Amino acid sequence: MSILKDVLSELFKMFVSDARLTAAILAVVAGTAVLTRGTSLSPLVGGLALLVGCIAVLIVAVRREARDRRRQTSR
Amino acid sequence: MLEWSKAAPAIGAAFLASLVEVVEAFTIVLVVATLRGWKPAVLGTGAALATLAAVVVILGPLLDQVPLHLLQLVIGVLLLLFGIGWLRKASLRAGGILPLHDEDAIFAKESAELSADIQRQKTSQDWIAGIAAYKAVLLEGLEVIFIVIAVGAGRGMLWPASLGALAACALVLVIGAIAHRPLSKVPENTLKFGVGVMLSAFGVFWTGEGLGVEWPGQDLALFVFAGLFLIAGLMSARMVRRPVLEVTP
Repeated sequence: MSILKDVLSELFKMFVSDARLTAAILAVVAGTAVLTRGTSLSPLVGGLALLVGCIAVLIVAVRREARDRRRQTSR
Repeated sequence: MLEWSKAAPAIGAAFLASLVEVVEAFTIVLVVATLRGWKPAVLGTGAALATLAAVVVILGPLLDQVPLHLLQLVIGVLLLLFGIGWLRKASLRAGGILPLHDEDAIFAKESAELSADIQRQKTSQDWIAGIAAYKAVLLEGLEVIFIVIAVGAGRGMLWPASLGALAACALVLVIGAIAHRPLSKVPENTLKFGVGVMLSAFGVFWTGEGLGVEWPGQDLALFVFAGLFLIAGLMSARMVRRPVLEVTP
């Protein structure tokens, strides 16, 4: 049972290593779904929003983690 | 006939991602072999490979039952979570915020942990060592399976992606058998950066296709996305790197 628990926990961590990053990516995907399915805009607009949103999420996540770690080490 | 513009990204991403995973699994198997001999290492690895084969045989046919757009969307979102997570970590390592991945250090740490486990437990020592090899190969193998499915399933590229993964396994086994030590010379951090870029690009591509976006240039759009993620990753690493202060005498 311990092996199964470890495997499931590792699989979960594979996709959810940082809860805020996961939430931000899912929010970008949800926004894209609204743009492509819920509006009369071209789906390509939603696609571009997805691309730009994911890149922005990456940059913000890296900067936030760096700031948090520096705060921890300076304490 | 294989179209290389479609197959090359799938093969390349599967090869590089699998290389990273197999190197990590190899380090643990080598720890087991060094501490307890090759028998538990080979038995644990063999059992894990059998489990992975069973997973593929059972779950593989189910993929054909899922509607293509749904499959692309689910895999795309999982790839975004996985790929951007990797790229974030790789950028933090490149920026000096996280320590670099070091197979020699991992080998030493895992050796100490497994030795302590063996001392503590009353069960057969070979059994504990075999289980350690089993878990390592199973976990890294599951990641390889996910990556192969993720980069290959959306466009019927499962076989080319599998070949990329198999080539990575063969390469690590051959080099590992010759070197007989942790493969610390593999530029794992650079590879992880590259793999994070590719998986994130595939993630945007499949998620978009799953939501009905028709990308201009079709598969060639993947290269544009990869280029943009590469720039974003490098830029992030540069932004968080501490400036080196020059002390004037």
